[in-house]
Amino acid sequence: MQCIARGAAFALLMASASVSAAADYPQPLAEEPVPSVAELPADYPDSWVLVHDLHFNSLPDGRAAVVDVAAENHHVRGQIPVAQFGNILPSTTRGEIYVGETFLSRLTRGERTDVITIWDTKTLAPKGEIILPGAKRGLFVTLRNSLQLTNDEKWALVFNFTPGSSVTVVDLDGRKILSDIELPGCSLVYPTGPRGFTSLCADGTMTSITLDAAGKAGETVTSSAFNNIDDDPLFMTPAMVGKTAWFASFKGGIRGIDFSGTAARDLGAFQIPTQPGGEPESRPGGWQVISSDRAGRLYVLMNPKGGEGSHKDGGTEAWVIDPATRTVVRRIALKNHSVSIEATQQAAPLLVASRPDGSLDVYDAASGAFVRTIVDVAHDPMTMTASR
Amino acid sequence: MSRLDKFSETVTRQVARATSRRSLLTLIGGAITGAATLPVLPVARAQTHGGGHGGGSGDHIAPQTTGNPQDPGDQTQCDYWRYCAIDGFLCSCCGGTASTCPPGTEMSPITWIGTCQNPADNRAYIISYNDCCGKSSCGRCLCNRNERDRPMVRPQANNDINWCLGTSSAIYNCSTAVILGVALEQK
Repeated sequence: MQCIARGAAFALLMASASVSAAADYPQPLAEEPVPSVAELPADYPDSWVLVHDLHFNSLPDGRAAVVDVAAENHHVRGQIPVAQFGNILPSTTRGEIYVGETFLSRLTRGERTDVITIWDTKTLAPKGEIILPGAKRGLFVTLRNSLQLTNDEKWALVFNFTPGSSVTVVDLDGRKILSDIELPGCSLVYPTGPRGFTSLCADGTMTSITLDAAGKAGETVTSSAFNNIDDDPLFMTPAMVGKTAWFASFKGGIRGIDFSGTAARDLGAFQIPTQPGGEPESRPGGWQVISSDRAGRLYVLMNPKGGEGSHKDGGTEAWVIDPATRTVVRRIALKNHSVSIEATQQAAPLLVASRPDGSLDVYDAASGAFVRTIVDVAHDPMTMTASR
Repeated sequence: MSRLDKFSETVTRQVARATSRRSLLTLIGGAITGAATLPVLPVARAQTHGGGHGGGSGDHIAPQTTGNPQDPGDQTQCDYWRYCAIDGFLCSCCGGTASTCPPGTEMSPITWIGTCQNPADNRAYIISYNDCCGKSSCGRCLCNRNERDRPMVRPQANNDINWCLGTSSAIYNCSTAVILGVALEQK
């Protein structure tokens, strides 16, 4: 009985409240049209980053998030499917995003189809696809250099692994396959010169292949061995400053490779100067461990507990390195253990660190000051690609 | 097992032994990975979910031992001795065992190779990390250990590759750790 009385009093209170609230707002909210779907700018601002979610717990359902790391809110602006150990690669000139991916007709069985799916940057809708023949697209934890562009972004280069290595050259305008180039003993693609690519090889060398106007392999140049794979191998994903790639090595070396000419040129290496605090020593660690800003500074994700087998453990600091003076300019203590890092190409760059729990921590790259956390962006944020 | 499969397996084992011998000689100069004493901090979610410890809730997957004192340890745990270079979901937690794929999956005929030391008999064993294929990601007991793992530039020593190659389905389910034999000492 007491309960009913209390309920009646509450209802009365609510009714009078809604009368006074309606008086405050004489007009109701406008009706909203359906359907209504958001769009993005065709050219993404410099503060946007593609965060690739490998989705290890459901690999056929990988995806990427389009994230504005500089915004106060609305950080995740949209998503793009990237199925089954896929790769995502934004064009800088064509208003398109390319996804290399693999489908089976019955999700986990049936006929395999490898494709490059072409996504429109503005609508995030698929606008075409190019079938990759041979069911041989390399399937492994995503690396940016398994799908790259060359020939003024008119051609795509797809790395295949069966476990034989090869590269498929794809004409994006004609949406057709131009050639398949065997690459025994070499891995991944690093665009080289106006029309060609380089691959890193298991004997420590690199091989540069020039492509002719039809996309067929032309001149081939193999370097002397420089990659000490046994003792101190290079991580496969470099930071790009123009056409110069900066690779980090397991034990803290930095090596420059110039990819501007028709054959890649080794610029030599230096050791990141030792800093206090390593137990036993600080080493690069994580998945995408090195990035660069527009001024050419390098950011390396460092693990103070470095040792054999620590190279994928992630890191707790980002060291800012000036490759011209070969010095550590700054050490940024990260708030959280991080998997990968990427610097934006803004005039005042931000440094994004992805966490094992799928959230992103954002720092002011110049000061190292923490800016914000963007939670739950991905399941497994392995690679990140800043807008350029 | 078809003759082709047998041929494939024989070749794999021979290649594994040869690769491992070369590995012992040239890759690591005779050094063999010790038993699992290093902390496990995998690159991805296993880091926050406790590696092979079955989730962050404090609850654990019930231990699965072989019962053989010469093959010690818990096959649901990332520190089990055979897992010294594994990357993926442990098939022991998915319906299989350390050396058997779960029902309805297909074991990859080619794979990557590690050399792990058995703490019970102190022998170095060649371990083949065959993936099991044809069902989606198992999702249990994610484990990533990288002793002597090398980047994609050397695929046979790289555990990031989906080795569901040569199988009817390229879909990855979980990883095994099969004993291929004892690593031969270099003279």
